[in-house]
Amino acid sequence: MVLTIRGRNRHDGPAYDIKFYGHGEDTLLLSCGDDGRIRGWRWKEFTNSDVPIPLQGNQVKPVLDLANPQHKGPWGALSPIPENNSIDVNMKGGSIFSASGDSCAYCWDVETGKIKTVFKGHSDYLHCIVARNTANQVITGSEDGTARIWDCKSGKCIQVIDPAENTKLKGFFSCVSCIALDGSESWLACGRGRSLSIWNLPASECVSRISTRASVQDVLFEDNQILAVGAEPLLSRFAINGAVLSQIQCAPLSAFSVSIHPSGVTAVGGYGGLVDAISEFGSHLCTFRCKCV
Amino acid sequence: MEDGEIDEGAMVVDDEDAQSAVQLKIERSAHEMLEESKASVEDTVAKILSIKKEGQPKSLVRELVTQMFLHFITLRQANRSILLEEDRVKAETERAKAPVDFTTLQLHNLMYEKNHYVKAIKACKDFRSKYPDIELVSEEEFFRDAPEDIKGKTLSKDSRHDLMLKRLHFELFQRKELCKLHEKLELQKKKLLDAIANRKKFLSSLPSHLKSLKKASLPVQNQLGVLHTKKLKQHHLAELLPPPLYVIYSEFLAQKEAFCENMDLEIVGSLKDAQAFARQQANKDTGISTNVESSRLEDDAPDEEDDGQRRRKRPKRVPSKENLDQEGLYQVHPLKTILHIYDDEVSDLKSAKLITLKFEYLLKLNAVCVGIEGSHDGSENNILCNLFPDDAGIELPHQAAKLAVGDALTFDEKRTSRPYKWAQHLAGIDFLPEMSPLLTSHGAPSGETAKSDAVISGLSLYRQQNRIQTVVQRIRSRKKAQLALVAQLDLLMKLRWPAVTCESVPWALHNPVCNLHGWSTVGHQSIQALSLPVVETEQVRESIDADMNGRSGTSKEELESAREDGELPSLVPSASVTGDVKLNRLKGSNHEHSRQLTLISKSLVPPISKTKSQSFKKPDDDLDLMLDTDSDQDGPAYIELESENTATQYYEMGEKSWVNYGAKEFCLVLTRNMDTDQRIWKLEAKIMFGMEYPLRPPHFALSLYNKSSGGNHSESDGSEWYNELCAIEAEVNLHILKMLPVGQENYILSHQVCYLAMLFDYFVDESSRSSEKRRGISVVDVGLSKPVSGRLLARSFRGRDRRKMISWKDTECNSGYPY
Repeated sequence: MVLTIRGRNRHDGPAYDIKFYGHGEDTLLLSCGDDGRIRGWRWKEFTNSDVPIPLQGNQVKPVLDLANPQHKGPWGALSPIPENNSIDVNMKGGSIFSASGDSCAYCWDVETGKIKTVFKGHSDYLHCIVARNTANQVITGSEDGTARIWDCKSGKCIQVIDPAENTKLKGFFSCVSCIALDGSESWLACGRGRSLSIWNLPASECVSRISTRASVQDVLFEDNQILAVGAEPLLSRFAINGAVLSQIQCAPLSAFSVSIHPSGVTAVGGYGGLVDAISEFGSHLCTFRCKCV
Repeated sequence: MEDGEIDEGAMVVDDEDAQSAVQLKIERSAHEMLEESKASVEDTVAKILSIKKEGQPKSLVRELVTQMFLHFITLRQANRSILLEEDRVKAETERAKAPVDFTTLQLHNLMYEKNHYVKAIKACKDFRSKYPDIELVSEEEFFRDAPEDIKGKTLSKDSRHDLMLKRLHFELFQRKELCKLHEKLELQKKKLLDAIANRKKFLSSLPSHLKSLKKASLPVQNQLGVLHTKKLKQHHLAELLPPPLYVIYSEFLAQKEAFCENMDLEIVGSLKDAQAFARQQANKDTGISTNVESSRLEDDAPDEEDDGQRRRKRPKRVPSKENLDQEGLYQVHPLKTILHIYDDEVSDLKSAKLITLKFEYLLKLNAVCVGIEGSHDGSENNILCNLFPDDAGIELPHQAAKLAVGDALTFDEKRTSRPYKWAQHLAGIDFLPEMSPLLTSHGAPSGETAKSDAVISGLSLYRQQNRIQTVVQRIRSRKKAQLALVAQLDLLMKLRWPAVTCESVPWALHNPVCNLHGWSTVGHQSIQALSLPVVETEQVRESIDADMNGRSGTSKEELESAREDGELPSLVPSASVTGDVKLNRLKGSNHEHSRQLTLISKSLVPPISKTKSQSFKKPDDDLDLMLDTDSDQDGPAYIELESENTATQYYEMGEKSWVNYGAKEFCLVLTRNMDTDQRIWKLEAKIMFGMEYPLRPPHFALSLYNKSSGGNHSESDGSEWYNELCAIEAEVNLHILKMLPVGQENYILSHQVCYLAMLFDYFVDESSRSSEKRRGISVVDVGLSKPVSGRLLARSFRGRDRRKMISWKDTECNSGYPY
């Protein structure tokens, strides 16, 4: 979900991803953004705070602050700080994975705040990252149009997934904008441009390929179904085999993010800071607009 | 007893003769002798009585009688001597009395004399002289100043009297002198009076001389450009102006003279009608004073004697005029004020005339109307619309006028001059806003409301001082902007790329690859559909207001004041959603709220300093706000309306909105032929701008079509490229404002079109380009002839939203950074 956290202690520029780290009292809210930083906030401070929300930004201080490294150019020139487009976590290993703008993915150690592993190999910047913790792997999607599976231990690329292979290029070159794993972490959904491909990871095989009208912008597994949103006001539900199960109109004209609550309520966030909550039966529960604080 | 005494006396005399021996003794003391005899008689009588009583013998008595007789004789003698003595004493007293009487008489004479003198003295003493009443010069002065012949004379022996007389003489002398002087002065005065009378006569004859001189000088005045007579005439006309126009006239005149404002004023209209009207008014007001009034008017107009003669016939026509009164609501006062505004930036002596305004006064409606002199088509007239927020001039400014008009609440749009609110303010016709300012801040806590109210009223007080300057400034900038706009539209009509002179922006350096395929005016219906973005803009501004509110009270006030001065917000794009009814309601209320805000603001006129700094430079806080919104919402906002239902809802809203009054809409088509895959990209931009250009910059609404050059079928790719189109719209509508150099505001349309062309070029290039290796920068240090270590990768996109980066060097733009 694209959201904005601003304020003195917050991200400079748009924030691109948030994730929770840990459980219970010690839960951290991790955020990353265009300023190339990953910041961790104590969730408790937000929920317990009696300070009005607009003022919180100035009072709550991040407990974690990680900055992306800059590349060295000739004569010591430094590249612009690459942004963090996505993060994921491995709580067992105490790691944060970030998909960065310098075409590398980084594995950060939460305790030390240092980079443990650098995953290098994509030819353009990364859009998304998911951790496959059962296999100690991470999967990244990149602007160069491929997704890669990396081994966390070695930092080596295990497999390059090219969702566009065997299909002719259709006018517009597209990137891998979103990837998702199912609960068993054996199925991978990979959104690239106006197509969505489903892969079986143990078999390393593309199971199905779905074409959509607009480019896919976020994808999510719910049990055996796939929820996808894109640059159109539609929430689509697919089966693993690629069959369209349902398509529900949603409020944002371009949906950037979809998430699901265990109760079955789906939230679609999109253009204009608009969030649409849709019940499991497809009715609109509420629609609200996020405001700049 | 008397007899007895006389007897005894006689006996005494006898005794005296007889007893001369004892005479001395008796003489000395006749009274003692009398006493003794009396006592011895009494003894003898007592003895006789006792003898008689005791019966003694008579012999004894004889003796005793003899003795008795003897005693009687002595008694007589004594008596006689006493009597004699008495006579002698009497005679003696008579003798002494004569001198006493004489002396007494003398005394009386003297007393009388004395009284007489005393009286005379008193009379003298009581005599009053005249001289104490005469004010005399003091003695010293007399001795100092008196001439010798007065001082030298001796008039009296008494020195003091002499002195006094002399002083009196001197006084007389002096007074006579003064009388002579007085007469002389009287004479002189009379002479002078004569001279004055002569000169007065000359002066009274002078005006006619001067008038003839003036008449003779008229050609010379015209020749030399000294329009003295004209000015006088104007002033005379100004006296006949209705009060609102008079206020406008005098205020503008004062402004012109005080600040050398580059403008001209004149009053046109028939003097006769105006005078007739003034008389008619006077008739209405006071039935009596008509004659006085008219005679005064005649006195006022000595120049127009010929007019005056004709005017005498006029009063007959007045009643007919009155009938006319009832007919026309739009009856106009015969006099009008004309205002020529010249360009203030041209350094030449004769600067170009920008615009000519005509102020006229509607008698019935009590409103001042403004029109453009010398133009009768509506489009020209619209220039004055929305000079200040919510002032399209199609609504009558005050409630009273609205009531007078009755059913037709709007002003007759066919009229070339309109009752703009600013004109009423200039004319001193102040009126209340229709809704209480208190209502507008219903959400805010009361304390803050009061505070902001105080601020507002203070501001308004302060700002009203600069009404004229502000209005002139606005009209000037409006006219200049319109001139610039017309020039730009002309170029676009001819399908030529607008010239952008400024070099500091990338689109000025970019050479468009795409074609300017079409430029056309769009009909009226679509304008209303397009009014949506404006409404939304306000809504977004509202939400920003609320944000600011949350941050701090003061910033809210700043924001409000920034907006109050009529500085219209630049379009802030916002996301819009039309699917949900609830959302629509939200928008509606916000819209209303903003309307109320503008209602407050309309009565306020900004100080000139503010106008100068803000109307040509976007206010900083506004900019910040725009930055806020755009980075949050990541883009712009126009989307095609989905359902007919919501469209009509917006239609209604749009129609009500004053912002769109006089708005124009154009359709711009850019095309790009792709040689590689034989496709034609067609970008259609609906451009809408209102009268407030460039304060409200033109709004671009984009749609994209993509067709193969062979086939005719064109498919809309709007949804496919939704994010990209939104990004371009955001750039063109909003972000351009941050990059636009100062002084180029009037050419913002050109800038926008060029920018759009550039973005379109890049968009098409990117979309057609197949996967491209990232370029890296490697450098060779020639002297060392080996690569310097390190590489910087160039990127064209950044972020999850794939924002395009464009860098430019000198005269060329490229996508990606570092390049």
